[in-house]
Amino acid sequence: MSLDYSPFEQMTVVLARDLADGELGAAGAGAMIPMAAISLARVCHAPNIQVGGEMFFNPYPKQLFPSMLDDRALGRCEASETFIELFGHSHHGLDFFFHSGLQHDRFGNINLHHVGGTLHAPKMRGPGAANLSYCHTSKRFYICPTSHTRRNFVEKVDFITIPGHLDGPESKNVAGLTQEGPRLVVTPRAVFDFDPDTLFMRLLSVHCGNSIEDVLDNTGFMPLVPDLVPETKPPTGEELSLLREKIDPTGELRN
Amino acid sequence: MERQPKLTDLNTALSLAQDALAERPDLCLGGLFKQSRPIALVRGLLAAGVSNLNLFSSPGAGYDVDLMIAAGAIKEVFIPGVTFENRLCSNFRTAVETQKVRAHALDALTIIGGLMAAANGVPFQPIAALRGSDVIKHNPLLSEFDCPVTGQRLHAVSALSPRVAFLHAQEADRWGNIRHLSTMVYADQLMARAAQTVIVSVDRIVEDEVILNDARSVTIPAYYVDAVVQVPYGAHPTASFPFYAMDEAHIDAYADLGDAARRGNADGLDAYLKRHITAPDDQEAYVETVGGSNHMQRLEQEARDI
Repeated sequence: MSLDYSPFEQMTVVLARDLADGELGAAGAGAMIPMAAISLARVCHAPNIQVGGEMFFNPYPKQLFPSMLDDRALGRCEASETFIELFGHSHHGLDFFFHSGLQHDRFGNINLHHVGGTLHAPKMRGPGAANLSYCHTSKRFYICPTSHTRRNFVEKVDFITIPGHLDGPESKNVAGLTQEGPRLVVTPRAVFDFDPDTLFMRLLSVHCGNSIEDVLDNTGFMPLVPDLVPETKPPTGEELSLLREKIDPTGELRN
Repeated sequence: MERQPKLTDLNTALSLAQDALAERPDLCLGGLFKQSRPIALVRGLLAAGVSNLNLFSSPGAGYDVDLMIAAGAIKEVFIPGVTFENRLCSNFRTAVETQKVRAHALDALTIIGGLMAAANGVPFQPIAALRGSDVIKHNPLLSEFDCPVTGQRLHAVSALSPRVAFLHAQEADRWGNIRHLSTMVYADQLMARAAQTVIVSVDRIVEDEVILNDARSVTIPAYYVDAVVQVPYGAHPTASFPFYAMDEAHIDAYADLGDAARRGNADGLDAYLKRHITAPDDQEAYVETVGGSNHMQRLEQEARDI
C-alpha cells in the first residue's frame, strides 16, 4: 500500500515528539533524520530547544543535508565554537544525542568499526566514530538507522563502538554507565524501547504498512514482543506540513 | 635587519614539510570532513612521492585520507572517523582489510586531549568521559591512572605533537597571521599550538592593515606559524567557507572510482591520480583539470547562497 508520507518522515516525527522544550542536544555527521527531528520539535512544541555541543549553537539551515557539521548544512547559526569546547561538552553531556551504525544488537550496542575478523585484520572495515562520550554522558540517546535488515540488526555486535546497555543492567553498572543510554530505536519499519528489567530491545510499535512478522523477519534476533503492539502514530497533518514547508522543502526525506 | 615574512611559495613550503617528515613521519591535517582541508598541500606532498606517513586529523576526515591511501602514502591512520559522511571510503576500507594500512581505534577526546596537552606543554590530558566502548581497549594513546584529587580511575592521553600540521584558512597577512572566516575553526588553533612545524595555505593574502585594524579576528597568531602559502581554491574539492562550497560532484565521482577499485578495477582511480596529482604543474593547472574558473564560480555562488 502506498502512504502519503515516507518512512524517513515517520521516523522524524517519532523522534521529534520525544524531545522536550528547553533541552540541549545535537546530532553529528551523517545525521539528516536527527537534524530534521530537532528542527521539527523546535517549530512544533519545543521553541526553547537548544541545538549545541557540536561546535555551534542553534543553526537555521535552509534545507536538509546528509551532515549537520558544515557551514552549508548549518545555514546561519547563533554562535560557533571549536573542538576545544567539544572536550567540555563531551564530559558534561547533553540532554540527548543520536547514533546509528553498521550493526545494532538486542541491548542497543552499536558497531561502526568492523564486521568479521579483528580490528586490525577486519573482514569488512567500517568508518569508526568520532564522539564516543555523548552516548553515556548525555542523559539519553536515540538509535535511528536508515535501514532495518538482518544484516544491521544482529544478535551480538562484532565490536562495541558505541555502548548501549552492554549485556544488561549489571554489566552497565560495572562499566560505570550511569545514564539512561539508548531510549528508543527508531527504524524505517518500527519503534523499539528497552525492557526496564532486562534492557532487552522490545517492540513498541510498528509503522503503518509493516506487520509484526515483517519486522521480526528483518531482525536478526528475537526482540521482546508484548501481546499488544500498536501501529506507530502516523505524522499528523500539521507535523507533515511543518516538516515539508519549514524543515525539508527539497524533500530529502522523501527520496 | 628586516622582519622576515612567512609568506612563501608552495614548493618551498612543501620541501620544509618533507624535511620535517623525514625526521618523524607524523602529519596532521586541519579542517573537518569536507571543509577547510589543506588539499593543495596534500596533493603537493603526494606528487613528491612521500610514503609511510602516520596520519592524524581533527576527529573526522574522508576525501584526503582516502586519496593519500590510494596514492600509497600512508602507513598508519590515527583518525577516529573516516567517511565521506554520505558514503564510506573504499580505498581506506580495502587498505585496512588487506592490512596494508593500520587504522587505530580512537575517539575525538583522545585526539583533542592529546593536542591540548601538547599545546599546553604538559605530558598528558585527563579524560573522564570514556566508558563501555571497545575503542578504549584498543586505543594506543590512552593509559589509565588514579586521579590524585578524587581517586577516580581516569584515562590519560599522552601529549600529541605532530611533526607537521597542514592547515587551510581563508586569509592571512604576509607575516603569517591567520584568519578563518568560516563559521567553525575546527581544531586548527590547537594543531597550530601542538605541532612542531605549522604550514598554512590560504585562499588570499591580505594587507597588513586588514589585520592591524581587527586583531581579534586573527584565529592563529603568526608566532605559531612556520610558513603561509597563498593558494586560491587550496581546499578544493573540500569547502573554504564563506568563499566556496565543497565540490560534492567531484568528491562523489572520486568515491565511485574508489568503489570500482574495491571491486577490482583501479583504472579510473589511477587515471584520477595522474590527472589531478602528478600532471598539474601548479594550482592554476589543477583548477583547469577540475572544471576551470566557471566551475569554481558555481562553487563560490553556492557558498554565497547559504
